[in-house]
Amino acid sequence: MKKTNRLIVGSAFGLAAIAVAIDHTQHRLPEPVAATQEHVDMSDEEESPCGMGGMGSPCSMQADTMEDEEYELESPCSMSSDSSPCSMGD
Amino acid sequence: MGTAANNIKTDKLVVVIASLSILAISLFLQYEFNIKQALYFLLGIVLGVTLMHAAFGFTGGWRKFIRERHSVGIRAQILLLIFSSILFFPVVGNVLADVFPDLNTSAALAPVGVSVLVGAFLFGIGMQLGGGCGSGTLFTVGQGQTDMLITLGFFIVGATLGSYHLDWWMTLPSIGTVSLISKLGWLPGLVLQLSVLIILYRFVSVVEKKRHQSLQDFSVKRKPETFLDQLIFGPWPAWWAVIGLTLFGFVTLLLAGYPWSITFAFGLWGAKIWTALGGDAANWAYWSSGYPAKALNQSVLADITSVMNFGIVIGAMLAAALAGKYAPAGKLKSKRVLTAVIGGLLLGYGARLAFGCNIGALLGGIASGSLHGWLWLVMAFIGGIVGVKIRVWMKFDKPYGKAA
Repeated sequence: MKKTNRLIVGSAFGLAAIAVAIDHTQHRLPEPVAATQEHVDMSDEEESPCGMGGMGSPCSMQADTMEDEEYELESPCSMSSDSSPCSMGD
Repeated sequence: MGTAANNIKTDKLVVVIASLSILAISLFLQYEFNIKQALYFLLGIVLGVTLMHAAFGFTGGWRKFIRERHSVGIRAQILLLIFSSILFFPVVGNVLADVFPDLNTSAALAPVGVSVLVGAFLFGIGMQLGGGCGSGTLFTVGQGQTDMLITLGFFIVGATLGSYHLDWWMTLPSIGTVSLISKLGWLPGLVLQLSVLIILYRFVSVVEKKRHQSLQDFSVKRKPETFLDQLIFGPWPAWWAVIGLTLFGFVTLLLAGYPWSITFAFGLWGAKIWTALGGDAANWAYWSSGYPAKALNQSVLADITSVMNFGIVIGAMLAAALAGKYAPAGKLKSKRVLTAVIGGLLLGYGARLAFGCNIGALLGGIASGSLHGWLWLVMAFIGGIVGVKIRVWMKFDKPYGKAA
């Protein structure tokens, strides 16, 4: 039984790994950058599920001082809307 | 390292596979994205090891208290909330802005409304039926429990359905987001929150003492010979997990800029699968704008929550293999399959409606001063009581009187 369980779990992990590989290759990979420059294609670093931008963050406490209007428009985490599904992460 | 001395049958093959996977994935993430993305994965690894070695779950702790009035699990969770709040409040309240001007962090704020009320209640039932919470499901999957694979599968289905329906739930009454830090200031807010948590700690301790005349401590039954043996092979006492989860959760906040979360990724995986099958998740309100739209349209490996989740699973796999607990034997019964399916659906759907699970809403929400975290706690616990009753009704557990 233990062997069967290992086989089931191993198969599930294998399938998941293949799915991740397919998903990753379907999306355009980041452009190469110079070695001296820290490579951050993660522009979402400033646009997280809860908005990581601090002062400019849609989920920040300082929503009143928000400078970047694009955030407010783009993010579902805006403090300005009560219907905002903020903190979508779990 | 005393595997023989401790009679632990380390699963060497799985240890090698997990170790090589950790190395390969870390290097890949560093190469494809940046060093930070690799660090998120490694954070997931240490979180997974911590959860697995300490068997730190919310579900079992709640069930033990509801059924037997043993509070050791709940006390550990309250301590985790206390220590996390002490670290999170000043940072989220921007107290350190002068010293660290580049440090930008956000609270896990979410509206306090009907969606959280219903979602957390459903999640609480799902925890008891599915056999795990957000973090518990991940680390038990990493441990190789086949029934939890089913729970995770339907957790993903539930989270995807929840994201489909969320815009309707958001039309229901809500008082909006409420931040203790914004309303009271970080220090008064922290003092108030710590007071409530200490009262809760005292309350569950008194309840346990009243029933059992003593308090269970955080120590483990089988203690390895040396500290190093215990650190590597486990088991860890609950207070090790409290310290580990507090510190790693805090590092996540500093690195990512927002508290540790889990179930956003489940909805994302489901939406990606649905899209791959020809569905139109991108047109659902939830996935059509902001970060969710961006996450849906980029590699899953670019999503921090997903990368951390993968880390938790592999970290738990490594820890389970070291402890000789990987892929435990046991036949899957049809009744267990049914509860895993129903529980998984409730977990996923509930988490989406409630803006998170026991990690994102309960831990992240409360520790960063969001009132929705407290509502989540109350409603999920009530759901847990219902879930425990359903387990008894389904003959998974004996009736209360015969439990202890």
